[in-house]
Amino acid sequence: MNKWIRTVTVLGICFLLLAAAGMAFAAEKGGMLRVAVIDEPPTLDQHVVTSDLTTMIAQHIFEGLYTFDSKYSPVPLLVKSEEIKDGGKIAVLGLREGVKFHNGKELDAEDVLASMERWGKFGARGPVLFSNLEKVEATGKYEVTLTFKAPFAPWKNLLAFMNGGPVIYPKDVASSAEKTPITPDQYIGTGPYKFAERNPGRYIKLVRNEEYAYRAEPADGYAGKREALFDEIRFIPVPDVGTRVNGVKAGDYDYAEQILGDLFNSLKDDPSVVTTVNQGANQGMMFFNSRNGVLKDNFKLRQALQASVNMEPVLQSAIGPVELWKASGSFMPETTLWYSKAGLDRFSAGNQELAKKLAKEAGYNGEKITFMASTSYKFHYDSTLVIVKQLQEAGFNIDHQIYDWATLISKRGDPTQWDIFFTHHGFVPDPILYTFMSESYPGWWTTDTKKALAAEFAGTLDATKRKEVWDKIQALVYEEVPVMKTGDHFTYDIYSPRLQGLSASSLIWPKFWGVRFK
Amino acid sequence: MKFLSAFYKRKIAFAGLIFISLLVVFAVFAPFIATFDPQGMNPVDKLRSPDSTYFFGTDNFGRDIFSRVVYGARTSLTGSAGVILFSLSIGVLIGVSSGYFRKIEPYLMRLIDVLMAFPPLLLALVLVSILGRGMGNVIIAVGATYLTRTTRIVYGLTLKLREEPYIEAAISSGVKQKWIILKHILPNMMSPLIVQATFTFAFSLLDMAALDFLGLGIPPSIPSWGNMLSEGRMYLTRAPWLLIFPGACIVLTVLSFNLAGDVLRDRLDPHFRRDIEGV
Amino acid sequence: MLSYIVRRIGSMIPSLLLASIIVFSFIHLIPGDPAQIMLGDQATPEQVQGLREAMGLDRPLYVQYGRWLSGVVRGDFGNSIFFHQPVLDVILDRAETSIFIAVFSMLLIILVGVPIGILSAVRYNSWPDQLFSGLSMFFASVPTFWLGLNLMLLFSVILRWLPTSGFPSILESGNWSNLRYLVLPCITLAAPNSALIIRLTRSSMLDVAKADYVKTARAKGLSEGAVNIRHIFRNSLISVVSALGFTFVALMAGTVVTETVFSLPGIGRLVVESVLRRDYPTIQGIILIIAFLYMVINLLVDLSFAILDPRIRYS
Repeated sequence: MNKWIRTVTVLGICFLLLAAAGMAFAAEKGGMLRVAVIDEPPTLDQHVVTSDLTTMIAQHIFEGLYTFDSKYSPVPLLVKSEEIKDGGKIAVLGLREGVKFHNGKELDAEDVLASMERWGKFGARGPVLFSNLEKVEATGKYEVTLTFKAPFAPWKNLLAFMNGGPVIYPKDVASSAEKTPITPDQYIGTGPYKFAERNPGRYIKLVRNEEYAYRAEPADGYAGKREALFDEIRFIPVPDVGTRVNGVKAGDYDYAEQILGDLFNSLKDDPSVVTTVNQGANQGMMFFNSRNGVLKDNFKLRQALQASVNMEPVLQSAIGPVELWKASGSFMPETTLWYSKAGLDRFSAGNQELAKKLAKEAGYNGEKITFMASTSYKFHYDSTLVIVKQLQEAGFNIDHQIYDWATLISKRGDPTQWDIFFTHHGFVPDPILYTFMSESYPGWWTTDTKKALAAEFAGTLDATKRKEVWDKIQALVYEEVPVMKTGDHFTYDIYSPRLQGLSASSLIWPKFWGVRFK
Repeated sequence: MKFLSAFYKRKIAFAGLIFISLLVVFAVFAPFIATFDPQGMNPVDKLRSPDSTYFFGTDNFGRDIFSRVVYGARTSLTGSAGVILFSLSIGVLIGVSSGYFRKIEPYLMRLIDVLMAFPPLLLALVLVSILGRGMGNVIIAVGATYLTRTTRIVYGLTLKLREEPYIEAAISSGVKQKWIILKHILPNMMSPLIVQATFTFAFSLLDMAALDFLGLGIPPSIPSWGNMLSEGRMYLTRAPWLLIFPGACIVLTVLSFNLAGDVLRDRLDPHFRRDIEGV
Repeated sequence: MLSYIVRRIGSMIPSLLLASIIVFSFIHLIPGDPAQIMLGDQATPEQVQGLREAMGLDRPLYVQYGRWLSGVVRGDFGNSIFFHQPVLDVILDRAETSIFIAVFSMLLIILVGVPIGILSAVRYNSWPDQLFSGLSMFFASVPTFWLGLNLMLLFSVILRWLPTSGFPSILESGNWSNLRYLVLPCITLAAPNSALIIRLTRSSMLDVAKADYVKTARAKGLSEGAVNIRHIFRNSLISVVSALGFTFVALMAGTVVTETVFSLPGIGRLVVESVLRRDYPTIQGIILIIAFLYMVINLLVDLSFAILDPRIRYS
């Protein structure tokens, strides 16, 4: 009798445990997530475009060798082990085994090699790495070796940064791809979700990758275990921000990105939605023409323009509530080790007297200064409106030209057409990725001092020493003024209270693994 | 004068006429009526609801909406007037020529027919994309879309007028072509064209507002009702006064012109009435 | 009659050719190009030039035009630069939305506008006439997006009776209840357009009522009601049908504002977005097709005149 009772009890308990596990499991997984996004992405080919929208979607499908943890440090993703040799000139990367692409094929060094080579030749940020690379080879079935011309510190950051970065495609996709973006039938990656369908104007559909090879470590930032808890994710283009907000409130969407700053305060207190801020700060940036025109070599004139602007009203008007902006002159944010105070006494001075004095010393005689801005991004236009007002009040003759983004980019390529243009810069994990560090980005900052410092920056390996060089570069930026930063600002999104697993803030791009319905 | 008496019959149209006159006064005397600089930014005072200082409240830059609405009257009236001038002058030129001179008629009218096949808003936005944003360019772009319709109407009117007995009499008695056109055809078109102009005014205002909504109209540095709606539309729940006042102005202005056109059209010779497109 | 139709169709061809030249040249006059847009802000000039060459955008204009036109006559409108799909497929995807919107808005306009127009004419200058005229004119004076946003606010957010935005395909899913997504957009579009139809119906009926043949019918002794409906209405139909025809085309292509507010995947929005992205093949394809549609409707409207008015005969 006792034996019976014991057996039944044990079996009963096991059954209950299984049922509970089953129910919990069933409650956790499943469902379709509907994300309202601001636009349709031009393509999901991560190599060639730097669109944040593309990265937000593509990061679920494709993976790279490294990724970032919550402290923005690069950690292995597809890599298993690494070995640095020859004083930093050689990096031997061991790849994880048993990782499958969405078409069932296993990932090996050939795939990595082909993807890296394509990215190096045609990728948006490829040349930054490859100009410092001697060669890259597949030195084993699961091993890739990078040989640098000289020790190049930013390499891991570049491999971890997916935006315009080296995601790994299967060999047959990568080796046949060139300048034109890969087509949807080639969207084959290793990520927790698979590309299912692109329905133009309606949605982009991803489905769970049942064969996903999880990393063992707990989720930390973008690193660690990536649990695909939804059956399906749909990214739906909803261009009107009012409609995005209404949609989440009415339950038509679960998540909506990029909400208007001025709505933040009322939405924060609204119980029907949850707000989340994107910590990857965006920065408004004005680029000065170093190749042609009245600003070409005249650093003093640039400093005069710089001195006349107070950035706080600019940010206040363009962004809105104080929680969403910071008038910080350091290019890299405080949360990173790159935060620098060099040259900040010149930031956001708003000193009209000083500006006029410097302008006089610079020999400014009321020449016309052409300032281009675009209406395609609301905060571009809004920021420049306030900036131009201040510049004009300081006595500068500003010709404020407004274009749509496409026209602005085309005019920007011609140095005779502009003196200043306004754009924004997204978050980058390594200062070397700043567009003004490149010599070919419009603005064309190529003074000798800068070139020397840039070379030093790339070649220094020690983190502390690199920071010292960066301080010098930032100081130079505030002296030669190739660019002017407005400040940091953060976009925010809203989502339905039904979602669980999203944090109060996302690192750079919101991600949807590790997220589920309650 | 016989026009004005028509307004007494329909009281609403008369009210509309008064509104239009008020608008013209506002537009002409804007610098004296506005309380603030329409572009003056005051971020500290942003998004204030209407009060005694800011009659219509402020927008997200802290600009006074009342002053912007007053100056906006100037922009909207100038814009629509420009469209009328542009489309009417070219429309009359082409329309009369086609209607009168049989030789060039097929070519010109074929061109006009083809242009009419393009959706007007798209045509306008392509033209603005090419020409760039600016008051003059927007007038040309929107004017071009009204040009086709005006030409069609003028052409139709010319054809009808040609058949009038007194015209045929003039031709057969040897009066010069130019004289006939100037002294007989054009003056008789005046009435229908004036009516058409009132409707063009109304609709071009709405079209320009739509272009502003798409971010492809009058540059935002010039205060205009359409731009105010376009910039303010995201604040529908947060600060509705950004939309109410410029919106009401557009509605009332368009309504007034539609009513006026309506009343005037009823007074037209029925022969021509059908040619006028309107509400 | 048949030879008339054939002649009309024949004359459409040079018109379409002219239209294609105008479209092509205008689009290519816009500054900026798709390669730069696609690659984004941080692409180098070499990368952009490379993509331009790969797309064939660096060839002389007449060569590009020739290539495009030779494809069009074979039914191949090229590939959309943005969607990497044949332009025709992209358009057909969106066509479903636009056709549904156009058809249902037209139904609303006809069902609301025509009866009100008749009523206004029959009760000439009485208070219903003035009221409806005033109301319809009011709605014709309101900017579309304001109407749309307010409708959305009331019916979707506050009352939750209808969805806010989007339009899942009916043809793919077979789910006709998806029509509820189109209710608010159609109302938004029908309101201003009804005004014209009301006005036209009303004035057409009034004019014709005064005409001779109605006097004759009355003299023949027909009852007032029969006179009204049979004679007056049929002849009034002409201008109304004409206006309806062109309203339909406008509803197909000119609804970008409503489509943006309600996030509908229609043709209006597609064209504007394609212009902003400089997606040349898509813009050219759509505008040419719309022009063709316009010409066809033109022909159909003219033909309907012959049916409605026995005095009109084509040869």
